[in-house]
Amino acid sequence: MPSKLTAGLIAAALPLAATAAPESFTVDPYHSIPYFEVVHLNTSIIRGRFEKISGKMTLDTAAKTGSIEITVPTATLSTGDGDKGDRPRSRDEHLRSPDFFNVAEFPTMTYKGKASKFSGDHPAAIEGELTLLGVTKPVNLTVERWNCGPDPRTQGKRYFCGGNATGSFKRSDFGMKFIVGPVSDEVKLWMSLEAFRN
Amino acid sequence: MMQDLLANPAVQGGAAPFIAGLVVAVLLGRYRLGGLAVVAAFATAVYFIAGFGFTPLTATRKIILLGLAAPLAGIFVDFAFRPTRLGSTLLAAAGAAAAAWIFWPVLAQKDLARALLPGATAVLGAAWVVGFSEQRLAGDSVRSAASGLALGIGTGVAAIFGAALTYGLYGVAVAAGSGAFLLVQMITGKRSYAGATFTLSVTVVAILIASAAMILAQLPWYSVVVLALVPVAANLPVPAGAALWLQAVLSSLYGFVVAGIACVLAWHAGG
Repeated sequence: MPSKLTAGLIAAALPLAATAAPESFTVDPYHSIPYFEVVHLNTSIIRGRFEKISGKMTLDTAAKTGSIEITVPTATLSTGDGDKGDRPRSRDEHLRSPDFFNVAEFPTMTYKGKASKFSGDHPAAIEGELTLLGVTKPVNLTVERWNCGPDPRTQGKRYFCGGNATGSFKRSDFGMKFIVGPVSDEVKLWMSLEAFRN
Repeated sequence: MMQDLLANPAVQGGAAPFIAGLVVAVLLGRYRLGGLAVVAAFATAVYFIAGFGFTPLTATRKIILLGLAAPLAGIFVDFAFRPTRLGSTLLAAAGAAAAAWIFWPVLAQKDLARALLPGATAVLGAAWVVGFSEQRLAGDSVRSAASGLALGIGTGVAAIFGAALTYGLYGVAVAAGSGAFLLVQMITGKRSYAGATFTLSVTVVAILIASAAMILAQLPWYSVVVLALVPVAANLPVPAGAALWLQAVLSSLYGFVVAGIACVLAWHAGG
């Protein structure tokens, strides 16, 4: 009798175990964009973005765990000023130089984090580390919105999750010290992220 | 107020390094160490702009390390050896090796076709500038100072046009130290001692910064080649009987013309 009860319990638990397993996702490079912003000369806010990022994500809503790894090719940065015009160089070219992102020497930056807080089924906060210019420092993100569901573009055949996250860091912590002050030390991040379940 | 002043790039790369260089040139000139004005100027700029952290050891930090080590090597060479062609050749080879050490990790990330030209320019440029300056200029403190002034200004302005303002400030700092060393000679009317102490301090920093602006930023390779000819221009003949200040002005002007060409090329590069 006890053996039948055990077998029954195991059989009943199997579907739950299957749904509770961590799910892995691949970042959608076309709808996942890290934006950054700095204050210029204590006046306006200048925004930029990186394109063509890649990464992966895991999510286990039952266990309230998740992780994310993102790789950003730094040479893809753009602030909307890529044409030098009658100047020697454009702002984007300057941002790619050793004064800022030093893309020739450090072609990628990475972010690795784990969901540290959940709001219902949704990750609400991520604790992680940003590696920029060869320096790794903690950078935490707040998840502002999040949703998962069938992808309507595939008539629901594909399942995906996505949302927005924000955070900030001091660029001087990573050795990016050029004209700290005229260009703010604090860099704010705003990231849109979508990922397809594998 | 003072903090704003010290945060000004013109102070960080120009005024403060010049004052530091001038103090060293005046105080140490009598001990044949006036050439340390350049490292004093460069170190002052580094202190204000980036600091003396060396982790991770990036290409820029390698240049700073070598810039601080070069005058020590120069003092050793000056006091331990007589200037010979072999010595100049060995120093040129050391310059080439330094360039390879700094830039190989960056160039190794590129394919061969894209790495060959900037790599060769950096290595051969370093060998040429270091070797030529040691062989032909180290014994003439006026010409070597004029060369350092023009090479520093040319490297600085060209690097700025190549989208690397930090390198620009370092180049200007080298010019400020060289200018301080030259100014003391012009005012006193007496030649100082340059030697490898001065020429290595100038050439190692200047040519490696120019190469870094080429490999890590947007300075075209042919600007670096032209910059490498600045010491040749500063070595052109001047009237032998002319006053020392006039020789200094003429040698500097020769150097400025060549440095100016490098800057014009840098401005117009990139389409």
